[in-house]
Amino acid sequence: MLSAGPQKKPITWQLTGHARRLLTLAIAGLVITVISRRAEFAGLAAPALLMLAARQGGRPEVVNVEIDVPTAPLTEGEPSQALVRITGQQRAGQVQVRLIANPWLTAGDTEAVRVAGGGSSGGWFRLPFVPERWGVRSIGTVEVTLHDRWRLEESKLTISLPKVTCYPRPALLESQVVLSRLPSRLGEHPSRLAGEGVEFAGVREFVPGDRQRRINWPATTRRGSLQLNIFNAERAQVTVLLMDVSTDIGEVGESTADLAVRAATGIAVRYLAARDRVGLISFGRRVDWIAPAVGRRQTERILHLITEKSASGHPTDVVSELPHAALPPGALVIVFSPLLNLRLVEALRGLRERGFATIVIDVLRVPKVGGLTRTKALADLATRVWRMEQDAIRFSLRELGIPVVAWDGKSSLDEPLAPYTRRPVVNR
Amino acid sequence: MNAARRYLAVGLLAIAVALWAGLPLIHTGRLGHIAFDLAIGCAVLGVARLIAEAAAPNLPSRADQLYLPVTSRIWLRGLSTLVAVPWPQALIVLAVGLEALHSRRPWHTAVLGVVLICYLITLHLTESNSRLTVFRPQLPLLVTGAALTALSVGAAALPAGPAGSGSGWLAVLAAIAAVVAAALALPI
Repeated sequence: MLSAGPQKKPITWQLTGHARRLLTLAIAGLVITVISRRAEFAGLAAPALLMLAARQGGRPEVVNVEIDVPTAPLTEGEPSQALVRITGQQRAGQVQVRLIANPWLTAGDTEAVRVAGGGSSGGWFRLPFVPERWGVRSIGTVEVTLHDRWRLEESKLTISLPKVTCYPRPALLESQVVLSRLPSRLGEHPSRLAGEGVEFAGVREFVPGDRQRRINWPATTRRGSLQLNIFNAERAQVTVLLMDVSTDIGEVGESTADLAVRAATGIAVRYLAARDRVGLISFGRRVDWIAPAVGRRQTERILHLITEKSASGHPTDVVSELPHAALPPGALVIVFSPLLNLRLVEALRGLRERGFATIVIDVLRVPKVGGLTRTKALADLATRVWRMEQDAIRFSLRELGIPVVAWDGKSSLDEPLAPYTRRPVVNR
Repeated sequence: MNAARRYLAVGLLAIAVALWAGLPLIHTGRLGHIAFDLAIGCAVLGVARLIAEAAAPNLPSRADQLYLPVTSRIWLRGLSTLVAVPWPQALIVLAVGLEALHSRRPWHTAVLGVVLICYLITLHLTESNSRLTVFRPQLPLLVTGAALTALSVGAAALPAGPAGSGSGWLAVLAAIAAVVAAALALPI
């Protein structure tokens, strides 16, 4: 948490609705008194007049506002809070603070809760909220209402809260898609080659220079000559995630772009936790990429690229093929796309021709098409034609050897990827 | 639930104000009937306004409504009108006017004043979501106001002098002077 204040904010006071109603009662009572010459109406106006007479000057013209918002990135669905403190209104009465949240988050409790200080002049107000969508966005505004002691005048102050970064909620993934041939970098996936791993691969005859601790004595006894255990080498995989956010259809929060970034985040986190090298290509209005690397810093770089709209990449229109720098030989390419952008489909064909093992996770969820009775037949026909086009695209990719699996955004990614996580995917 | 109870209290007090000021409607003429109906309407719409404000605190602006369906726009326009019109002020004016249409009944007017003040306080507490304790500093004022009301009622209940004299005006001036004196004398 970092304080964003204190800032001096000028305030203007005006009559409350309560004061206006008291004034109405007083004036109405006095007017009727004079018109009808009935003294009891002066008595009717008396309490209102006395309450209005209590109004005094000397209210503060400036208050100090301090704001604390989370500076560390949040995650979708993670409860968080902003803190607001109003000082300098000692001569005023009660302070009310209300969070007017932007649509991308849910305000937990609209009325603020005093968390420290205690007095009416020095307390912090807690504004809980839950971010519902990834991105760098403003929390909203805080409406501060200051009342004078007599509830006759009030001042309303609107303060914009700063932006916060919210990472996408990572999709669940327990297993991993692993290639049969891995580049010669030390890692945690057993490869087919013999090496210094822990997974037993077989035995062979001892030759001078071998480590004696690896002698397999039972096999030596059976065969009559020294036998040595051999193990699979352990290699790191290079995984490149291709996130297609060039088209975004569907309901906010469940759109194709939302599903693509959540899937990309989940897979990036999973593979980086397994000490693989992971890179990312963001295919939106611009093409941005991060070359594969390992480590926590790479996780942060990937999440940063996913979350923030970068202006440094190349416009998609001028990019004829995906960047070579982000696609080292032997990499596994996992694509998250609704496959609505034909430029990307062509790029995938190019990838396959270059020999990359590629898997497409289809994030398109076809909405139900409604319509009036008069137009329903036409809408149904258009939907069928569109579906056939989409099926043709997916069929053509499968024919090229690019598997396309559909993900609904709710279940674990293990489910659609199950056919490819059971055994290593053969690559050239 | 607490909010519902507050709305109910405001509604009941508003209806009580209109009924107390308006009934009986005999001898008030056609104007009295119209004013009574309007007062009941204002009481109901005043509660509806409170509920609408709580249910839709941030209504979209005219520019934001541009692409909404016509029915939604009409609905939002109706809601904004409901929230914008000061129904309680209209109810106060109508109630005082209705009371004036009746023949002289000082104790009845005093009770109306008390109910009106209760209504205004309840309405403010509901609007600002505050507790009754916020009015504790004003307790002396309310007690003094009640005493002045009683004094005015007493003055009005006294038999007036012969017709044509200035005794009526005198009572009015005395009542107003008492209110002003109390306001000046109070140690606020």
